[in-house]
Amino acid sequence: MIDVKAKINSFFIFNSSFGPKEGQELKRVLFFHPNQISADARKNQVGLCEAVVKFMSTFSSGPCEALQTQSKRYIFYQPEKGFWMVLVVTIPYATKASSAIGESQGEVLNPSVMNDLLVSAYKMFKLFMGPFKDIPIEDIYSLCDEFFTPYIMSKNLTNDISNVIQGVSYLPLDKNSFFKIVCFIDLLEVTYPDFKCVAFVYNDQLIWNGLATNDMLTLYQYLVQTLLPKQVEKEIQGGAVATAQRHGRFISPADSIRTSEDLKKLVKVHLLREDDTETRQYYLIIYRALSATVCFTIDVNIPLEIETFRSLDAFIGPHLSTIASTISEQCAIHALQTAQLLNTDQKFVYFNRLNLAYKSSASLSKLIPSASIKPEVLSIIADMHTDHKSLGSYGEIIIKTPDEYWITGKSSNEREFYVIIQEKNANLKEIADEVKRICESQMKGIFFYPM
Amino acid sequence: MAKFCLIDSEKYYIKLSDQPKRFDADSPVTNVFFDDTNGQVFTVRSGGVTGVTVIGMDNSKNTSFRMEDRGPIISIKFSPDHKILAIQRNHENQNPTIEFVNFKDLAPTNVEYSHTCKWKNAKILGFVWPKANEIAFVTDHGIELLVVLPDKKQLKSLKSTSFSGAWFSWCAPSNIVLLAGNNGVLLQPFSLNNSSIAKLQKLELDAARPVVERDVFLLRLCDSTWCAVFRHGVSTTTAAPGPTEVWLLPVSGNAAHVTHVLKTGLVGRFAVNVVDDLLVVHHQSSQTSQVFDIAESSGTGSAGGGGCVVVHVPVVGAACMQPARLADHDCPMYSSNWVVFQPDYIIDARLGCLWKVSLVPSALAHQIPKDEIPKIVAVLLRRKDSEDTVYRILIQLVENADTYLVELTKVFDEINSVYREWAEWEMARNTAGAGAEARDAGRTPLLISQADLCTRVLHARTHLPQLVQVVTAYLSSLCRHSMVVQHPVAELCVRALVTRGQHGRLRALVRRGCLGDARPLACQLLALGHLQLALDMMARLNRHEDIVEVLLGWEQPVAAAGAARSAGLLHRVSARKLLAAARARSPPAFLALYHALHTPPRAPAPPPPPCLAGEQCDIYNEYYRQLTLEQAT
Repeated sequence: MIDVKAKINSFFIFNSSFGPKEGQELKRVLFFHPNQISADARKNQVGLCEAVVKFMSTFSSGPCEALQTQSKRYIFYQPEKGFWMVLVVTIPYATKASSAIGESQGEVLNPSVMNDLLVSAYKMFKLFMGPFKDIPIEDIYSLCDEFFTPYIMSKNLTNDISNVIQGVSYLPLDKNSFFKIVCFIDLLEVTYPDFKCVAFVYNDQLIWNGLATNDMLTLYQYLVQTLLPKQVEKEIQGGAVATAQRHGRFISPADSIRTSEDLKKLVKVHLLREDDTETRQYYLIIYRALSATVCFTIDVNIPLEIETFRSLDAFIGPHLSTIASTISEQCAIHALQTAQLLNTDQKFVYFNRLNLAYKSSASLSKLIPSASIKPEVLSIIADMHTDHKSLGSYGEIIIKTPDEYWITGKSSNEREFYVIIQEKNANLKEIADEVKRICESQMKGIFFYPM
Repeated sequence: MAKFCLIDSEKYYIKLSDQPKRFDADSPVTNVFFDDTNGQVFTVRSGGVTGVTVIGMDNSKNTSFRMEDRGPIISIKFSPDHKILAIQRNHENQNPTIEFVNFKDLAPTNVEYSHTCKWKNAKILGFVWPKANEIAFVTDHGIELLVVLPDKKQLKSLKSTSFSGAWFSWCAPSNIVLLAGNNGVLLQPFSLNNSSIAKLQKLELDAARPVVERDVFLLRLCDSTWCAVFRHGVSTTTAAPGPTEVWLLPVSGNAAHVTHVLKTGLVGRFAVNVVDDLLVVHHQSSQTSQVFDIAESSGTGSAGGGGCVVVHVPVVGAACMQPARLADHDCPMYSSNWVVFQPDYIIDARLGCLWKVSLVPSALAHQIPKDEIPKIVAVLLRRKDSEDTVYRILIQLVENADTYLVELTKVFDEINSVYREWAEWEMARNTAGAGAEARDAGRTPLLISQADLCTRVLHARTHLPQLVQVVTAYLSSLCRHSMVVQHPVAELCVRALVTRGQHGRLRALVRRGCLGDARPLACQLLALGHLQLALDMMARLNRHEDIVEVLLGWEQPVAAAGAARSAGLLHRVSARKLLAAARARSPPAFLALYHALHTPPRAPAPPPPPCLAGEQCDIYNEYYRQLTLEQAT
């Protein structure tokens, strides 16, 4: 695996219109990582990018996406007009130019992964801070620094399959338990009409979503990658506290909500709820009992009363604990049933673009060292995933690497299914049949275009 | 506690019939008798010389006639077919005799005769008519069952059994006589069915506290016969006797071995009626009535010696009966002149009124605690004329779903559990075959099917803001009862979600299988643009023809052909249709399809490939040659 942190040469955000005159170049740089880089070096980097972006605009109506030099790869992302986010990674190179590229390819972060990193960084920023253009110029530098520095530092980006295909893991659940959750949410929303439940997560798997698909992914990533790991750590450390917390508590803001002072610590987010037409600002309230986590939003314009939160606590606590224990029982049963199915050494990844559902075989999950996927293989999957349009609404590609890896990518109706098979002396038909078999056994009840 | 009050419901849940049957009041010259088997009042004026009037609820059986005064009458009753009148008189030191008069068209003929019981020195406690021409003399020596032969003016003894009893109680619907012996410690029921006398399991009571005649009633409730006994002051301290309980001891029927204890919480004089399978307990001093439902499941049970004991409390709080009016005057209610008869008669002998007691179902939902709504609905579902009330409650709950969501969910559970129980019973009956015994588990309960709920409650309320929550609650209840979601509900759910823009919830419900799989639902999803969900559902339903059609409709002929081939349907799809669509798409698509149609499928028994030779396909054969030629060059 490659250590990405070491590979990130720099990450910066600029907007040329912020300092249009000479001598104001530094004003154009909203954020620069690493921050120990001198002002001159910053100016140089940003200047180069500005020039490239501008230059390229004469050739294409679309924005410039990437630039590769002998030692560096630049990825550009323009989330809002004029705002450019740039990620630069170093690529190892040898002086012998002829062989360098072919050999080192596996070592470099895949461009699509880099692009995804930029996109999710922006989306996370937008979730908490709102779009760049709405932030006053005098605040934007400090806000960017406040947000992106810890973000980039904490980003444990590896060339893992879950980074190549960013999705949401849904918890499979029997109907009755699912209805329990939905009815609980309904009851809560009916009893407290100002509150809307936007997500229900069990462990790190999503059960209920009330957001537009894109925002859901961002919130899910925030929960699963940032908030919940910290929370779980706290719970493990405070073993004795755990029993007192059985009935649940608010975990965002971090110190729960006890006094009206705590209400000022509520986090504001910019979200597009599923039944809304435009992104609006809400307070985000997160409640957790046992392994179940619920996120609510409440409009920022609604005056908050500490009494409401106390009664909410008293309402959710017992309900959520009961539901969480029901789910844990169901999960235990389900785990037993699927253990056999997933424990085979088949390697597959499933992704549905419509609801961003992501599922992979046990042999590909994070628990097992992902070294089992070779960077080349990953890179091929990343390419297929990025270029899914070439498959159209349905299709199948089978690629064989020189070291006997067969990678099959299936696309059907917004769904993608990848299978990795290492098999010597296999032929195309055998692989196709095997893929079909895996697809049928793992993806029951789903219609794949027959090949 | 928040209260629920059904709109337009009345306060009184027990009422007397609007128009009482009037008769001459009891007086020194007029004697009034009541026959609870036929529900008829006999007013005998001057021993019958100045006339006997018979009135009952059924006006066609009313009559009046004269007869000779041969002594004070103790009991006078028609046979069930009104062809024989039997009279028991009080003759000192005479044989135990019953007189008979044959009747024709409710008028007496002059055929009169009499019969003396087999025990010459016995005292006749009374007589009952188990059948049209069978009469049973109940005496202190035992019971004698006789058949009456009116033409021959004589009676023939069928069967007799000896038992030393002091008084008896009679239950006409089940033909059971309960004789009290041993000074009210032993209660012995006898069944008089099938022209025979059968001794049933005796009821032994606490020897220290024998029962008296006015505290014992034999009644029919929920298709079983029960002996209702008032147990006064059951508490252990004699200084402060506890409230009275009604014990229902099983006599016969399918509810054997369960004793129901009804807690009245009151002391004093009581009377009971049975109305619509509810036991109504009237309490005189407080002028209230209580209703008990022994079919309720919430009763607390405990296993006692010899059987199970279930304790019940009144369904709703005690309330007085609806005040009855008589010619613009209020009748005195709970008067000391009232006599209560089984199952549902009340007579005021002084006023000369005969009423039937009835239940006002809607009043059961008048001012009840919010959390008792489900219980009340459960009680109503077991009643006869409660359909309208149940729907009214449902509508009121649905329209105020923001307040009553929890209760509504539980009400759905009650409805569905009744429905499911019935469906299971029906299925068992059908599998057992038509020859199986007729339904004896009581009448059909009130069934509210999924379609009923949609048409009568939900369809007219699609504008409600909480409709989605209501439908979800209903679906979850169906799911808890393992009932398949039927199309009306699924369709309503989809429409409610779509009109409110809640596509996410719709997808989640479908993906998790909460709406079930059905072809109409798949088509609805397809029309709404949820293509992935629709195709998945069709695939799960094995509707391969539909899938092929859909894919053809999307101008994806190659995929359509693939789907058809994998389902073994390729020979059924029109080759012309496929080729035309492929040609419109692109030359590679056409070539792929053309080849596919010529390649025999991999299946072991290949169905014949579609015919490409027909005239209609000629242009495509030609087009193929053209394309391949181009490629070659």
